[in-house]
Amino acid sequence: MERVSEGAEAIMFEIKLSGNPLLVKVRNRKSWRIANIDEELRKSRTRKEAKLMIMAKKAGAAVPGVAAIGKYSIFMQKIDGKLLKDSKPTAKEMQTIGRYLGYMHAKGITHGDFTSANLMLTTNGPYIIDFGLGNFSNSEEEKALDLLLLERSISKDDYANARKGYASVSKEYLTVISRLNEIKKRGRYQTRTLLS
Amino acid sequence: MAVIGIESSAHTFGVGIVDNGKVVANAKAMYKIGSKGMIPREVAETHLNNAANVIQEAVQEAGITFKEIEGIGYTKGPGIGHCLHVGLLSAKTLAKKLNIPIVPVNHGIGHIEIAKKRAKLRDPLALYVSGGNSQILKKYGDRYKILGETFDIGIGNMLDSLARSLELYPAWGSTVEKTAENGRYIEMPYTVKGMDFSFTGLLTHASKMKGKHNDKDICFSVQETAYAMLTEATERALLLTNSKELCVCGGVAQSKRLKRMLKGMAEEHNIKFGYAEDTFNADNGAMIALVAEQMLAHGRKAKLQECGIEQRYRIDEVKLWKE
Repeated sequence: MERVSEGAEAIMFEIKLSGNPLLVKVRNRKSWRIANIDEELRKSRTRKEAKLMIMAKKAGAAVPGVAAIGKYSIFMQKIDGKLLKDSKPTAKEMQTIGRYLGYMHAKGITHGDFTSANLMLTTNGPYIIDFGLGNFSNSEEEKALDLLLLERSISKDDYANARKGYASVSKEYLTVISRLNEIKKRGRYQTRTLLS
Repeated sequence: MAVIGIESSAHTFGVGIVDNGKVVANAKAMYKIGSKGMIPREVAETHLNNAANVIQEAVQEAGITFKEIEGIGYTKGPGIGHCLHVGLLSAKTLAKKLNIPIVPVNHGIGHIEIAKKRAKLRDPLALYVSGGNSQILKKYGDRYKILGETFDIGIGNMLDSLARSLELYPAWGSTVEKTAENGRYIEMPYTVKGMDFSFTGLLTHASKMKGKHNDKDICFSVQETAYAMLTEATERALLLTNSKELCVCGGVAQSKRLKRMLKGMAEEHNIKFGYAEDTFNADNGAMIALVAEQMLAHGRKAKLQECGIEQRYRIDEVKLWKE
């Protein structure tokens, strides 16, 4: 078992299952919060994340396949590729990313951290990873926030292409965009810039 | 150089004096919060009555004369309008009378800078928690950036409201903390979204528990939940920004439980954690003087007639100085 990365909430390990590499995302114990809160959060978040991944895949987005779910861990397909934030995507790839987001939103799935650090480019096209902050929601606000995070994390041209892809499949495109414009006008987002 | 700072954004009228970054006086007078919370007109009136005495007291404490004061800072905001005006008036009067440069200071920056100074940190991520504010910030260049914050009310406000609805007096956070001792956990809503968080859901839920559970358990559960939310959001921000230091500041930073949680989290990531003494986490004039001294040293003096207040003065609007 090899430790691949460590996030704020979970540790990623790589294991081999009959020769095939699998990633395991383990939500580790946080000793600074009381056990009642800690266990419930880790359990419910693991369950929710796995469900989001499965549903997003069903909706038509490219998402790592879920192999198994433990109490605090998700076993998933390992995706080989480069993070969007470290690569130069083609127009087609960006449109595909937009389309995937549109498919997810249509099924009431929001990602919650839809930035270039959570998108991967592979020879099989783009993949969406890390649903740790995702939600089952049909709120325009949460959908608009997915677009906002993407916009802030990539170049203008790349975003324009992604938006084109999103518009091509999303029935609620106009309402989400008008909410997005409203969010941008709010004080706290005007002055707030995201790190990317 | 001796610089005097005047703070009056909420219940405290504070006057501090610093001399080359060293706090030489920190005098204050507080409005006593009753069962109705803070009534702006009454708080301002109390400040007006106390202003001259507290200023006098600070100068005496510093062991200097008025003539030795070379600059003045005051809290421009954020805060309660009525209260801010009293500080502004006092500062302008002093500036004019002593003929010294004046500079407006952001209250939140005061809290962060004094925590940095007292804890001897250089470039920390800051968790700023007070009545009206709850934010996670980091300085980039000459400005603080807000990485995460409350979607609705500040944590201090939430704790005060909880105390009032449970009829615990004095109605503020330290009473909640005392009541929470040996409490048992009852489930509460936990709302963190990335590096942002929200407290109204928790407050509403907890207020409905009144009578069904004992106060001890309600206070314990709210406190554990709210502080865990803050600590989780802070942890995410620490890793995102790759920070090696963390400080907590603001009125709620007086909470022992919050500091213990943050310390535990910071230790897991080998991050240096620090904070100021309670008297500097509660609202005070020294922090305003400290920032004013730096700002004046960087040529940020303001024209007297342009000095005003701003109730919603945001930290990221302020151009500071590069370290």
